[in-house]
Amino acid sequence: MTLTKNPPPAIISITDTSVKMAKSKTDPESLLPLTPAVFHVLLALAGGERHGYAIMQEVADHTDGQIKMGPGTLYGTVKRLLEAQLIEESDERPDPHLDDDRRRYYRLTGVGEQVVSAEAQRYADIVKLARGKKLIRKPA
Amino acid sequence: MNRNFNNRALTVSQKIYERLLRAYPPAHRAEYGPAMAQLFRDQCRDAWDESRGWGVMKLWLRVLPDLVKTSIIERLAALTQRKSMSDKITNLIQPRAIFFRVFAAVFLITVLVSVAITYILPESYASTARIKVENDKLDAGYDPYFIQTQFEIMQSQVVLEPVIDKLNLNVQWGKKYLNGETLKSAESLQILKGRISLVPVRNTKLVAITVYSDDPKEAASLANTIAAAYQDYRIQHNKQITPKGIEVLRQQFLDESNEIRQVKSEADLLRQQFKIGSEVSVNPSSEEKLYWDKKHILDQMTEGHELFAGKIKELKLDAQIPRPAMVTITDTAEPGRAPVKPNKTVNIVLGVIGGIFLAAVAGGTAAFIALHFRKKTSKAAATV
Repeated sequence: MTLTKNPPPAIISITDTSVKMAKSKTDPESLLPLTPAVFHVLLALAGGERHGYAIMQEVADHTDGQIKMGPGTLYGTVKRLLEAQLIEESDERPDPHLDDDRRRYYRLTGVGEQVVSAEAQRYADIVKLARGKKLIRKPA
Repeated sequence: MNRNFNNRALTVSQKIYERLLRAYPPAHRAEYGPAMAQLFRDQCRDAWDESRGWGVMKLWLRVLPDLVKTSIIERLAALTQRKSMSDKITNLIQPRAIFFRVFAAVFLITVLVSVAITYILPESYASTARIKVENDKLDAGYDPYFIQTQFEIMQSQVVLEPVIDKLNLNVQWGKKYLNGETLKSAESLQILKGRISLVPVRNTKLVAITVYSDDPKEAASLANTIAAAYQDYRIQHNKQITPKGIEVLRQQFLDESNEIRQVKSEADLLRQQFKIGSEVSVNPSSEEKLYWDKKHILDQMTEGHELFAGKIKELKLDAQIPRPAMVTITDTAEPGRAPVKPNKTVNIVLGVIGGIFLAAVAGGTAAFIALHFRKKTSKAAATV
């Protein structure tokens, strides 16, 4: 994974996550916490099906350009999410006039939605905790 | 998205990136390589639009570490997958189980093949005639080559051709083996030779003539006819050879007679010329000595000649005595009741013994290979 400012997660963590994902598909809580790369990809796909470039752009937009995923990180993450059945490849293709029909589109599965929701909730709880300790302010 | 980028820097970057994708495992490259190359092209375009060459350089500074890191991750993942596969294979390879499986398979196959061959092979019947074989010469001593010579004669053309003619084997075997076409005598002879077995009966003058055939009657008929043909041959041969020998001896006798006559006339001439008496004088002259030497030679020749005459007379008498006893058929061959070949019990027992041996060798080899492979895979897994 290519991160511009945040330190990259340890190599082994990605592999471990994929193994953990594959073992416990039914219990979303058991998959948490997600690595930043996995969480951002799932978050990008929460808005609908996307191809690789669109996912990368959306992650960059969400993070104000702080996270720019390289092709290796993006497709390594996609591969592991597919194996864990958190996402799936979409058979539908857009109009060839509007987009390149060779691109591969991905979308969240039911389990994927549960997992990304649970992770978002976990982040929300952390934010709430930080606010309680006045580490961050409420948005205006 | 489908805009054509002619910029050389972008094209070169894309080509380099496509080459660098080889750092990933083949399976990953096959699945995601094109998508990754496409994403890189998109990123290149964005970087170029943002700040031209500097933007592309910054992209490379981000992409290269990403490529190195993720290719290592994918390689490790592929190795882990391979290790789990090798573990499965290793568990499958149990040398002992393989030994028993291979042993059972080879043993069963060998026994089944031996049983199948035993029942597929044509049945063969044997019939044996026994003959007593004597030497031609009544006063002949022990001849170590006699029986061996007679064996060769029994299997020779002079004995077997009359058998072929008598039993009409060229036609009979032609019907059987050549779709009715008549065989040549040489072909029939070859077949017949292959079916004869001659065995001397220990410590006797008897010889067992055994003939094999798919027809028991034919086997018996062949054995009896061969015995009779050999007997005929010996009688005819003896009849032919004795007069010829006597004739030769008679000719030698006549030559010797002429020579004696010549010596006698020379001696008589010397006696008359020098008036030599019947007694040897006290001081014989040289001529007298010559006469007495010749007389001595003549006496010796005459003595030998008389013995020679006696021998010829004896031979003439010997030839006149009939000798069917040279070859006596002691046992005639009878058609066999059961086939002697293939011997089913022996064949199956041999099949079982051979099967155990082959199965042990094959099983041992397979187990050894399995053990070797198991060690190798374990070592490879440990390395992984």
